[in-house]
Amino acid sequence: MRGWIEKQRYILDFTLSSLLRRKVKNFGLLVLYALIVFILASMMFFTYSIKKEASLLLKDSPEIIVQKLMAGRHELFPLRHIETIKNIRGVAAVEPRLWGYYFDTHAGANYTLLVPPAGGKIGKPASKTAVVETDPHDRAAEHAGQPLFRFNDVALEPGTLIVGQGMARARHTDMGDFMPFRAFDGNILSFRIAAILSSESELVSSDLILLTEGDFRKLFGIDNDYVTDVAVSVNNPREIATVTAKISRLLPDSRPIIRDEILRTYDSIFNWRGGMMIVIFSAAVLAFVIFAWDKASGLSAGERREIGILKAVGWETSDVIQMKFWEGAAISLTAFFSGVILAYIHVFFTGSLIFEPALKGWSNLYPHFELTPFVSLEQLTTLFFLTVIPYTVATIVPIWRAATIDPDTAMRHSGE
Amino acid sequence: MIELVNVRKIFNAGNPSEFSALNSVSLNIGENKITVLTGPSGSGKTTLLSIIGCMSRPSAGRVKLSGREITSLPERFLTDIRRKTFGFIFQQPNLIKGISVLENVMLPAYPLGEKRSHLKEKAMKGLDALNISGKAMAKVEWLSGGEAQRAAIVRALINDPSIIIADEPTAHLDTKLSYRFMEIVEKFKTEGKTVIITSHDPLVYQSAVVDRVIGLRDGKIEGKPS
Repeated sequence: MRGWIEKQRYILDFTLSSLLRRKVKNFGLLVLYALIVFILASMMFFTYSIKKEASLLLKDSPEIIVQKLMAGRHELFPLRHIETIKNIRGVAAVEPRLWGYYFDTHAGANYTLLVPPAGGKIGKPASKTAVVETDPHDRAAEHAGQPLFRFNDVALEPGTLIVGQGMARARHTDMGDFMPFRAFDGNILSFRIAAILSSESELVSSDLILLTEGDFRKLFGIDNDYVTDVAVSVNNPREIATVTAKISRLLPDSRPIIRDEILRTYDSIFNWRGGMMIVIFSAAVLAFVIFAWDKASGLSAGERREIGILKAVGWETSDVIQMKFWEGAAISLTAFFSGVILAYIHVFFTGSLIFEPALKGWSNLYPHFELTPFVSLEQLTTLFFLTVIPYTVATIVPIWRAATIDPDTAMRHSGE
Repeated sequence: MIELVNVRKIFNAGNPSEFSALNSVSLNIGENKITVLTGPSGSGKTTLLSIIGCMSRPSAGRVKLSGREITSLPERFLTDIRRKTFGFIFQQPNLIKGISVLENVMLPAYPLGEKRSHLKEKAMKGLDALNISGKAMAKVEWLSGGEAQRAAIVRALINDPSIIIADEPTAHLDTKLSYRFMEIVEKFKTEGKTVIITSHDPLVYQSAVVDRVIGLRDGKIEGKPS
């Protein structure tokens, strides 16, 4: 056993010195290899974390949102329908919501205007739509599970706004400044900025403006009998489908949207963005594959001669293959881990500096936020099998072919 | 000690470039003797030497080592024999560039898993015996031709083989170094080792220490042994 361990040590030592002997070739390969892993891992970390974050944020969003449709288009929801929904068995609460979009020609940006629930006091546990509860078993969720809108208990008063960070940046405004809006009838309404939302929630609140119900109705000319839509909470999650079916039956002109559908939409949006980036980088990946295959599968005359010498002085074929296996494994593992670590720093510490425009942008206001690190072991394993294993195998095949021929032939064919 | 019976070696068999390097060579090489295989280029000396040293297999015929048939042994067993029985000194020193002289010398012993301190001590003793211990840590590309040759000799001896095989060992040495090499060969004999050398250098095959000279031409043994 001792002899076996000593033999492995000798082979490892020799492998490392072999790597150092071909410094330039191996270093170039390592850098390229790590770069590819870095790109793929960055994409993976980013899309996975953002999807996870979005799903955490949406975890406590209403189970069902009911909109009214007119000729297949979303229309204002009449308040009188709320009673109909409340009377359905299993419905815990029905909350009317007022929200909409406002295009700011000055900044060229689209804002989301929202009347916070519970009369302007936002971030309180009572307002279910605004708070993400923390899963006690999910440590990462602790960070994400913070109120979406946090400010120092500033109450919204008529004539005031609370705005998101992205909006404040786009308009170069700060607390106390006034902001003019063009109302539905052409009148200009001016609002004072009472507070700015915390940056922690920027993923969803970058373009957000909170205002009172009265101001919202005044701005958009919405009658008091109407709201944008309603959020329905259900006592038993297993009854969601039944309640949804009942709403559809009782209000045929309505469209109930369940939370899972929203989550699926988020998933497909970010999968699409990640996929798009992979398509762009696929040329780089392909170039690397060709380069790596060429470097790994072709043996230089020097390497062939070296194998011949090792065999002639008494190394077995298996010793030679083992040595070359460790050589390939050392390169691919170093590249894999450096690529993954760099990608982790890139995504979670620098806010995906390189891919930011392609991956994050979903409106004119780019959100500035740091993602909470979520790493999927399954995806990492997939990446490992797609990078380390093919490279290691690609190195073994030519070595095996060279190592199985007679040492005499290997040496004669190479020359000095 | 080594017996060859009707050994043939054909390269590129079945191809238009097929040629026969050895034709029915039968030979007995005695223990603790210095045997020199001589002949012009292309006569089959190196091919014969590589078959004797288990570096390649004959296309036909049998090779026996101490009475044991080794021709049909699997590669793993042949390697084991090569490692423990033979020490190789090539025409070129065939040292691995980029690593130290000491590491090169220790290479044949790596698969045996010998304790590092013992192995190092043995290697240093060998280098010392050939007056190159001062270059132990130097990279092989910094050695002169003679030093590289001596390093290759120490490497051939690291596993204490009973048979030393040397292919044109003096081809790249000057006269002084060639004489020095023959002195080393004589020392091998006094230590009880068997030495087989291929050479067309008269300084080698005419040396007094040589017990037997075998002439080869066109893959066949010519004339009677001297």
